[in-house]
Amino acid sequence: MPQQYETYLVDGVKFPFCKGCGHTHSVRHLDKALAILQRDPTGINLVSDIGCIGLVDALFSGIHTVHTTHGRSTAFGVGIELADGILHDSDLKTIVILGDGGATIGLLHIVHAALLNVDVTVIVCNNYLYGMTGGQHSAFTPYDMVTTTTPSGNIIPPMDICSVAQSCEAGFVARTLATDKNLAGVLAKAIEYPGFALVEIMEICPEYGLKHGGIDGKKLKESIKEQNKPLGILVNRQDRTEFSVQYNNSIDTEAYERLKKKNEFTIKKEYTSSLERQAGVVIAGTAGERVQLSSYLLLNAAIASGLHATQKNDNPVTQGSGFSISEVILNQDEVYYTGIESPDYVVITSNDGLREITANGLLSRCTDETILLVDASLNIEGVKGRIKKLPLRKTFGADRAAVGGLGVCVGGAGIVPRDAFEREIEKRFREEGKKIISKIYELTDAKFFSENA
Amino acid sequence: MTDFLSNVRIRSGNQMVAEGALRAGCKFFAGYPITPASGIYKTMIDMLPGKGGVALSAPDEISALAYCVGASLRGQKAMTATSGPGWALMTETVQYALMTETPVVIAMVQRLGPSTGGATQNAQGDVLLVENCTSGGYTIPVFTPSNPVECYELTHLAFTWSELLRTPVVVMLDKEVGMTSEDVDYMRIHDLTTLSRQRIAQSGNGSNGNVDTYYFEHPEDVPSFVPVGGKIKTTVTGSAHNKAGRLQKNSPETLEVLYHLQKKIDANANQMELVKRDVEDGARTLIVSYGITARTAREAVRRIRKNAEKVSWLNVLSLFPVPENKLRNSLHGIERIVIPEENFGGQYRSVIETLFDDQDIVGVNKIGSMITPDEIIAEVV
Repeated sequence: MPQQYETYLVDGVKFPFCKGCGHTHSVRHLDKALAILQRDPTGINLVSDIGCIGLVDALFSGIHTVHTTHGRSTAFGVGIELADGILHDSDLKTIVILGDGGATIGLLHIVHAALLNVDVTVIVCNNYLYGMTGGQHSAFTPYDMVTTTTPSGNIIPPMDICSVAQSCEAGFVARTLATDKNLAGVLAKAIEYPGFALVEIMEICPEYGLKHGGIDGKKLKESIKEQNKPLGILVNRQDRTEFSVQYNNSIDTEAYERLKKKNEFTIKKEYTSSLERQAGVVIAGTAGERVQLSSYLLLNAAIASGLHATQKNDNPVTQGSGFSISEVILNQDEVYYTGIESPDYVVITSNDGLREITANGLLSRCTDETILLVDASLNIEGVKGRIKKLPLRKTFGADRAAVGGLGVCVGGAGIVPRDAFEREIEKRFREEGKKIISKIYELTDAKFFSENA
Repeated sequence: MTDFLSNVRIRSGNQMVAEGALRAGCKFFAGYPITPASGIYKTMIDMLPGKGGVALSAPDEISALAYCVGASLRGQKAMTATSGPGWALMTETVQYALMTETPVVIAMVQRLGPSTGGATQNAQGDVLLVENCTSGGYTIPVFTPSNPVECYELTHLAFTWSELLRTPVVVMLDKEVGMTSEDVDYMRIHDLTTLSRQRIAQSGNGSNGNVDTYYFEHPEDVPSFVPVGGKIKTTVTGSAHNKAGRLQKNSPETLEVLYHLQKKIDANANQMELVKRDVEDGARTLIVSYGITARTAREAVRRIRKNAEKVSWLNVLSLFPVPENKLRNSLHGIERIVIPEENFGGQYRSVIETLFDDQDIVGVNKIGSMITPDEIIAEVV
C-alpha cells in the first residue's frame, strides 16, 4: 500500500489569517484537493505571491514552496514548469496562489500562461482589495464598494479574471465561493488538468471588506450576481495541447540542422590581399537597397583574402525605410578601433545616404585622399576628396547600386582582390551576378583610380 | 594576417554571447526583442532547441527573466538578454535571483539612455545602473567583453561564477561590441571547463535531518543547490529568511543570511579579478578601459608607442567586483590614470576614484559618437 496523505498541512497548523478570512477556507480546500489527488509531496510545487495569501507557503509541509515577488508568482511558476515539462522527465504540478492585487499587477503573466497553455494552476483569491497594506481597492473591487481608497465608493468597473482567462484560450476556468463545499473538488480538477487552469475564489476580508465595505457572506453573493459573474466550472476544454508537449512536437530537427550548418560555415583563405594600410570603407544609401548586404559581401571577400575586417551598420529605428549606412574596416592586422576617423572610400548611392553621412559628420571627416564614388543624380559640394560621379542607380538599378558601386571601388582601388569580391557577388546573385560584374567592369575607370592611387 | 583560417567565421559580439552560453551548458533562454540585444535572442532561438534546450519569447522583460529564474530553480542553466530599457524592468527579478541564491546570467547590451534613449546609438551609461540595482547595495558581478572572442569567453565565465556563487551575473556589452561583425578565429578561444551545477546529496544538512534550502556553515560558503521539483523538498523565498528558507524578521540567523549574500561574493572577489594588462616599464600614464573603449584605447596605445612614447594599458574584463588588486599592481611609476568611457559622467571613473584617491585620475567622456584614439592620446602624459 502506498502511503496515504490525509493532509499536506503542517502538523497542528495555526493559520495566520484574521478570524473569518476567506484565505483560511481557500487553503483548507486546497489541502483537501491535494489529499484527493494523493500525489507525493515533492511532486507538488506551490508558488505564492505577496499579500496575506503569500503566507501560505509556511502552512504546508513536504511540498516544494516558492515565495515570490508581487504579481510575478505566475511567471516564476511558468518558468519552473517550462523547464520541468520540456527538459525533465517528471510530473511536477505547479500551483500558483495569489490575491486580486497580485492578479492585477501580474495580469500579463496570467494572460501569457493561459495563451501558452503551460501546466500551471493559478488560484486567485479575490477579496476585492489589498488587505495586508490597509484595505486599498484593487482592479477587482466592485462598483460602489467603499474601501480605504474609495471613500465615496468605487467608480471603476471590476475586472473579470475568468473572462480574461477564457479570452486567452485557458483550458480550465472556474469561479467559486471560498465557502463552497465543492471547492476542493474543483481545485483538484484544476490541478489535474493537463494545461493552464485558473480558479477564482470569491472571499471576504473581515478586516476591510466587512468592517469598511460591509461585505458579508450575503452581500458577497449579491455583488457577484450584480457583476454578472457566473459560478462553477466555466471552461473545461479538451482541444488544447499542453505547451511542453506542443513544444517538443514542434521541433523540426532538420530545420535546426540546416541552421547549424549555415552557422558553422567557415571562411578559408583563398586569395591574397596586397592592402598596405588599414582601409575604412563607407557605403551610404537607402534602406532596402542591399547596402548592408553589399558590405557583408566585402567583409567575406576581405576575410577570404586573409584580412581582418569589421562591419557595422546603421539605419533608422524602422528597418525598411530611410537611410542605410554600412562601415567596413579592412586591415592586415587585427582591427582595434572599430570607428572610421577619416574614410578612405565612400560609396553614396542615394540622397537618403548622402543626407545621413552629412548629418552624422562622416562626410566632413573626408580628407584630400578620400575617394568618393557618388551616384550621378546626387548633388555633392564642399566635400574634401576625389569625387567620381557614376550612374550607379541607372546602371545597376536601385537595389543593386550599392553592390555595383562597391564593385567599382573594389575593382578600381584594389582594396581586396577583385576575384574575391566577384565570387561573393556570384554566390549571392547567381546568374544575375555575372551581369552585375560585367557592368562593374564597364563603369570602372582605371584612369581615375590610377591617378588617385 | 590571420592564422588557422579554416576556423574563421564572421561573428558579432551578440552571436558570440549566445555561443558562449551554449558552450557553458545553458539550456533555457527566454527573450524579448530590444535593439541592440536582439541578436542574442535570435541566435538562441536558432540554436538552442536544436541542442535539446528551450528558447522562447516572453511577453515582456519581467517575464523573460522570471521564466529564466524559474527554469534555474528547477535546475537548468538559464540566460536572458536585454538593453537599458529592459534592464529597468528586470531589476525586481535580478534582486529576487540574488535573494533566492538562484544562478542566472543576464546579457546587457547598452544603448544610449536615459529612458528609451537612442536604440541604435552606442553608450556605456548603464555601468552604475546595473551594479547598483539592488536594495541593500549588494555586488552584482559584471563582466565586460570588448570583442567577439571575449564575448564568448566571458559569457562562459559568467555562467561559471553564477553557478559557483549562486547569484545573478551580468555580461555587459555595448552596442558597438554587440552589433559589430568581424572575423573570429575559433582557434583563439581558450579551452574552457564547464561546471555542472552542484547538487546536494540526499542526506540532510539542517539541524533536524531536513535539508535546509539555504544552509551554509560559514557566511562566505555557498549553499549547495537543491532543485525545485526534485525529491528533496525546497523552501524558496525572496523575503528575509533563515537558512531553512522561512520568513523571519531580524532573527540573528536571518541577518546572518543577509550578510552571507554579500560575503560569499567578497570572499571570491580576488579569484574573480580579470584584466588584460599591457604594462610598459617607465610609463607614467595608465589607461583603464572596458568594452568598446578598450579597443579604442588599444589603438591609442599602439599610436603612442609608435611615436616611441611610453604608456600602460589595462582592459578591465571583470568590471565588478572592481579588480582592485590587479589595478593596484599596475600602478608602479604611474602618475596619471586615464579612463575613457562613452558616458558623460565618468561612471567607472567615479568608482575608481574612491579606491585610489591619491591618484591623478582623468576621464575622456563622450556620448553620441565613439571616442577616438586621438581623444584618448590627448589626455596621456
